[in-house]
Amino acid sequence: MAFLLNCPNCGERNVHEFRFGGEATSRPTPNSTPDDWIRYFYNRGNVAGVQREWWNHRYGCRKWFFALRDTVSNQIQETLWP
Amino acid sequence: MAGDSHNQRLKPQPTELIDRNKSLEFQFDGRRVNAHQGDTVASALHAAGVAILSRGFKYHRPRGFLCGAGRCPNCLVNVDGVPNVRACTQQVRQAMNVRHQNAWPSLNLDFLSVLDRLQWLMPVGFYYKAFHRPKFLWGLAQRVIRRVGGLGSVDIDADPVTTYRHRYHHSDVAVVGGGPAGLAAALGAAEQGVGVTLIDDQPELGGHLLFNSKDFSGLPDLADGSGPEVASKLIQRVIESANIEVISGATVFAQYQDNLLTILHGDELVKVRAKSVVLATGTYEVPLQFQNNDLPGIMLTTAAQRLIHLYGVKPGNTVVVATVNDQAYQAALDLLNAGVEVAAVVDVRPTYSHGLEAATTLISRGVPLLTGHAITHATGKKRVRAVVVASVSPRSPDSPARRITCNLVCMAGGFQPANALLQHAGGSLDYDEKSGEGIPHDLPNGVYVAGEVTGVHDLATALLQGRLAGLEAARLVSGPGSNQEEIGRVRQRLNGLETEPGIIPSSPVSAPPVEAPTESRGKKNFVCFCEDVTVKDISQAIEEGFEDIQMLKRYSTATMGPCQGKMCLKALVGLCAQQTGRTIGDTGGTTARPPVQPVPLAALAGPSHMPVKRTPLDQNHRDLGASMVDLGPWQRAHSYGSPQEECLAVRQRVGIIDVTTLGKLEVTGRDAGALLDKVYTHHFSNLRVGRIRYGLLCSDNGTIMDDGTVTKLAEDRYFVTTTTGNVDLIEEWFNWWQAGTGSCAHVTNVTSAYAAVNVAGPRARDTLTKLTDVDLSAQSFRYMRSAQGAVAGVPAILLRIGFVGETGWEIHVPAEYGQHVWETIMEAGREFGIAPFGLEAQRILRLEKMHVIVGQDTDAASNPLDSGMDWVVRFDKEDFIGREGLKLASEQGPRNKLVGFIMQNWHVPEDGVPVVSGGKPIGKVTSARFSPTMNKGFGLAWVPAELAQDGTQISVLVNGVPQPAQVALQPFYDPEGELLRQ
Repeated sequence: MAFLLNCPNCGERNVHEFRFGGEATSRPTPNSTPDDWIRYFYNRGNVAGVQREWWNHRYGCRKWFFALRDTVSNQIQETLWP
Repeated sequence: MAGDSHNQRLKPQPTELIDRNKSLEFQFDGRRVNAHQGDTVASALHAAGVAILSRGFKYHRPRGFLCGAGRCPNCLVNVDGVPNVRACTQQVRQAMNVRHQNAWPSLNLDFLSVLDRLQWLMPVGFYYKAFHRPKFLWGLAQRVIRRVGGLGSVDIDADPVTTYRHRYHHSDVAVVGGGPAGLAAALGAAEQGVGVTLIDDQPELGGHLLFNSKDFSGLPDLADGSGPEVASKLIQRVIESANIEVISGATVFAQYQDNLLTILHGDELVKVRAKSVVLATGTYEVPLQFQNNDLPGIMLTTAAQRLIHLYGVKPGNTVVVATVNDQAYQAALDLLNAGVEVAAVVDVRPTYSHGLEAATTLISRGVPLLTGHAITHATGKKRVRAVVVASVSPRSPDSPARRITCNLVCMAGGFQPANALLQHAGGSLDYDEKSGEGIPHDLPNGVYVAGEVTGVHDLATALLQGRLAGLEAARLVSGPGSNQEEIGRVRQRLNGLETEPGIIPSSPVSAPPVEAPTESRGKKNFVCFCEDVTVKDISQAIEEGFEDIQMLKRYSTATMGPCQGKMCLKALVGLCAQQTGRTIGDTGGTTARPPVQPVPLAALAGPSHMPVKRTPLDQNHRDLGASMVDLGPWQRAHSYGSPQEECLAVRQRVGIIDVTTLGKLEVTGRDAGALLDKVYTHHFSNLRVGRIRYGLLCSDNGTIMDDGTVTKLAEDRYFVTTTTGNVDLIEEWFNWWQAGTGSCAHVTNVTSAYAAVNVAGPRARDTLTKLTDVDLSAQSFRYMRSAQGAVAGVPAILLRIGFVGETGWEIHVPAEYGQHVWETIMEAGREFGIAPFGLEAQRILRLEKMHVIVGQDTDAASNPLDSGMDWVVRFDKEDFIGREGLKLASEQGPRNKLVGFIMQNWHVPEDGVPVVSGGKPIGKVTSARFSPTMNKGFGLAWVPAELAQDGTQISVLVNGVPQPAQVALQPFYDPEGELLRQ
């Protein structure tokens, strides 16, 4: 993994400056069904294609943001603030 | 090693890289060898008559100088303790110690060469099918094979010989390859005003021009004169350009996404990130296949040319030059001019290219040209003595084979484009029938190619291609529209040139379809020199069904050695195509993966990046004779002598411990309380100013992440502590839940801003009262309260908490006052018998209070309900991180619970030993110590929930023997917390 990632705050940087935060999930509202919660805790889409995911600029501005990344090619389509 | 007078220095060559006025000396296997400044180890050894440089990987046959350019495995030696150094690119340093590898007892006499006669033991893929039965044989065989096979060895007891550094480098354009195309590309890009990094793997820039004595006069404004003259003009311009940085003698061993090039340059690993990349990596010349083609004295034509032109070394006395293309004719002429007798030029093709000047010169000087012929075998023991040459035409089977005496054979087996980096970058290749080479087809974005790697072998074309690639690479950096006209002009001229024949016509298959004598004991026809794979091995593998080139590679291991296919891929593909009746295009190729060249693991690892953090009190601990331990990045005092005595000091008098390493976060802003309510299981927004509450952090499924205290300093300001190792993670965790919510809360990591000590014990109040105006009386400063005031004259935050179970204060002061505060408290406490205590004492003390250490007593599956901390989980909050997970867990009820235990005899278990029942493990001790207050072993353990009752008898394994213990649910020390609140 050696691609460049465009931090919305700092600009294009080496991916090694970042912490990967996993694919973006949406948290159920309180008192959703246990099944909804268990899906949210443990199930991930693991798509082969473009995925919306969390990144943190750990060795930079330490901000969290979203990236749309193709999990097959590591091409980043877009980065954006949450 | 007997001197061999075949080789010697030539008279000074105009192009040589050596400085004959400067002499050097080095050791080779204990023998002194003379060299000149600029010599490589291999050139000096060759000049000194050393023919054998290494022994083969599998059969231990003698091997000598083959490629001369740092590609093949034949000259790997140990230099000053570093194994697998290529002697042909390693420059000689004064007094360096060079030793052979992989031979015993010596290169000249290697007893392991008996393996050459035991090839029946090791057929292709033998490790899949031999030595497996009876079963014990494999273990034995494995040990023998590992000893006998393989290359150099690392002395694991020695100090690291080389410490590699890592460096990042940024460039607009990176050009890989310092030959004519690369030089032209660098110049083309640099004149557009962009920054260029030019990387070349040879000691000197210039590529093959350095040893190409052909006359290039008459080429329109591009070049003039001989190869070295053209090169020196280009190099001069490169050196003069302010925009070009040159890294020579450096191998680009991989190209990764977004144009990241990794380069090994001496003891430095450079990671170059470029906006665009020009690959002008050229080609590798490859060997021919005939019996005993691996004998010392058999080398590539370019290797012989390098010896002559770069190092002024005569490669041999009598040579046979064998070829599949025009390259060999110029080489033969160079050899002739260097005083080598050319016994014959053997060309597999029916004729050489029309108008080839070098050929007519050779004929006029009486050199026999044998077209339509090939070498069938070579003879000799430690060096080639003769070759047998036969006609390749099936229509003349009667034409007699002839034997030609020689001590040098130069092979021109064709060229293989150095396209590995292009493949790493995601480019694809097409096989070109005309040149017999795989040429670039699809180029990834930002990658350009130029020169011989594209299948051309013509200087004018290479230079124009280089210039075009450089201009285009610069355009990608500067934006569209720039230098458009110049690009068009160069392209037009290039198109004009391409109508002329610029390609070295070559036989498509380097292995001539000659009926060679079948391989027998000690007579082999090598395809892969690294792994000792022969033509027969390949045929057999194909017969066994491994027809796919990728499978054939894996099964035979051809192309899988140190040269990574540079010497053998062309032959492997050719043989595979020939024997399976396919075209070379259909046969395809193998996949190139990083690294292109072997890289020492130490270079990849680089220097240690483990930072060590020391607290401001570090020197005080050391002065007190503390033993230090690593805790996360920090070094902490483990003990000052006797942890047991330190415990007693805290319990009976007063102790002081450095707790600077605690993670510290300040959470401020209007919504700070709301953020803490969300991430902690407990309430915090309703905390009153000046109060402290224990806080537990869970992940959303309810498992414990971290714990600490939260102090409300002001309505919109909280002071949070975390465990030592987790602060960065928790800072990220807070910010993550905060991200995008638009709420007003700011998290600031102030860990290193404060030094902190915990002063605890019955005399803690007496000690501190001497140093502060803050009222510390039990009525005014109650347990779990905080205050801000001066301590020892410096501003401090005082927290009355009790991790160790005594009356005590955690005092946070600006880091620069840490030492002063520590020393002042020590002085003030002297009359009360104050003692510093370390991490170990703190662990015992907290264990007596049954205070859990997250990560020690809990793991990634523990939740607060199982861990006996249900009191911090507030289901009455509408939502917090972990609420739903914990609700599910509480409905299911715990399976195991964390409980205290006390031993029923004098035994003290170790951390991590099992709790057993009926000989089976049913639980685990997480912490156990000897308690100086109870005089017993005790600790915390996970046990099945049904055993989690006060007084239950359990068994704990101590030294493999179950010992009785009793479950305790209440803290062992001060269970009601009366002392704590005094």
